[in-house]
Amino acid sequence: MKNDTFSMFLYYTKSTIKSWFQYKIDAILRSFAVFLREATGIIVIYLTLLKFNNINGWNIDEMLFLFSLLFITYGILIIFFTGLRDFSRIIQNGDFDRIILRPRGLLFQIISINSDWFAAIGHGFLGITLFIVSANNVGIVWNLKTIIYYIFSVIGGVLIQGAIFLFFASLSFYLIKTDNLREMFYWNMRKFAGYPISIYHKFIQWILIFIVPFAFVNYFPAQFLLRKPDMAAYPTIFMYVAPFLGIALYLISYGFWRYSVRYYKSTGN
Amino acid sequence: MKPYIEFARKTFINKMVYKFDYVVGIFNTCLQIFIFWCIYKALYGTSSKIDGISFSMVTTNFILCLGLSSTFQINDLFVQEKVNDGSIANEFLRPVNFKGRILAENIGSIIFGLIFNFIPALFVAIIFVGIQSPVSSLALLLFSASAILGFFILWQISFIVQMTSFWVINVWSISTIKNVFVNVLSGSMLPLWFMPRAVMGFIKFTPFASIYFIPIRIYLGDMQGNDILINFLRQMLWIAILYIIGEVMWRRGQKKLIVQGG
Repeated sequence: MKNDTFSMFLYYTKSTIKSWFQYKIDAILRSFAVFLREATGIIVIYLTLLKFNNINGWNIDEMLFLFSLLFITYGILIIFFTGLRDFSRIIQNGDFDRIILRPRGLLFQIISINSDWFAAIGHGFLGITLFIVSANNVGIVWNLKTIIYYIFSVIGGVLIQGAIFLFFASLSFYLIKTDNLREMFYWNMRKFAGYPISIYHKFIQWILIFIVPFAFVNYFPAQFLLRKPDMAAYPTIFMYVAPFLGIALYLISYGFWRYSVRYYKSTGN
Repeated sequence: MKPYIEFARKTFINKMVYKFDYVVGIFNTCLQIFIFWCIYKALYGTSSKIDGISFSMVTTNFILCLGLSSTFQINDLFVQEKVNDGSIANEFLRPVNFKGRILAENIGSIIFGLIFNFIPALFVAIIFVGIQSPVSSLALLLFSASAILGFFILWQISFIVQMTSFWVINVWSISTIKNVFVNVLSGSMLPLWFMPRAVMGFIKFTPFASIYFIPIRIYLGDMQGNDILINFLRQMLWIAILYIIGEVMWRRGQKKLIVQGG
């Protein structure tokens, strides 16, 4: 690792922001559109719970808190992992060849070369707003223990999703088009994760815990802080594993990446 | 008429090429239905009816609504792409009506969606979650007619969004914002029976409830006799209003258009 890593990251970031915000009104409109699109699910659950009061014992504030973890982690994730999200495109148009030739780490370049700031701002702002609105009304005692747990589970949540992105990026070395697969496993599972997983069929719960572990991004961390009765169906250990699972999964994915990168064949000729 | 049928046919055939995409499409529609089914199962708990609406009516609402909305996929960025790369100039030279051509292509892709997305998703939904049958065969017929009118409302809204290409750089944002309004206010994410009264008061003055909710209420027999007639008229009125807005923008836009380069 060269000692200019940090300044290079800043330099890349500066140029991405510059290019994104070339058209100012458009940039503002675009951030707003992303914000509104992501807020759709929340608007819907809010309106629904005006009618129904609670879903499996979770009231509106607790639901917003559950949602906030999903959005805060994605907001942070997308600052660092946009390059991996769009990785199959980088492979397809041959940009990866250029990256290989440069005298810096591959993953470092992919991570810093592009950040989707609209998504970061849209999701991040939404997540923080939801957190501020709900955090005081859900009966969490904020002390050193809970604050540390919260911070670690956010980092863990980012890394869990980062590991999923990195896994599918590594798969692109074997299969040229992985967008659809990721769409199926990541985005569809994320749709489930907005709600307490206890409302779903056992099979879906199993997927969300063991295959695409979104339950550890928001459900189990929220359970540690809220202690809702539906936690009784799961082992207590899950709540304590949540903050550390991300690191483990990320390391596994990183190993897979290191292994797969050797199989790279350029799409060009 | 012949060239338009040809446009529709071409789009249909083009769509056939991406086989994996339509498998994914069916899968996504079913998943979406399943998620809402789980949510409403938890919300209903042990009660059989809430506000006179049974759980199976809610399920039917979601199956039809999500099925139709996945079928009525319209590319909002079509005109913008043509404006940006200047190829819209060629469109003006062709001996076909540009607006008619867009409509024809969209109808082609909707017929595709109906056959390869709506019907398979419907089958899966019937097997796994169950759907109420229409109250009568007449209701089914009226439902189909009303759904077609619903499509034209949605299409006119999309056309208006597309017409903004003449004034703004990026239609994507406007299209995204429009989709949020359509998704929330048309009842495809929250059945309009359960919408708070204040929001319903607002929806009354918008075309959104006329897209999916009117046909579905007819299907379920939640609406009878004169009400059906009035709601058909309401749908047609919206088509007329939106048509006029779209037409004005289209005329103005043509005058405003400056194609760069060349």
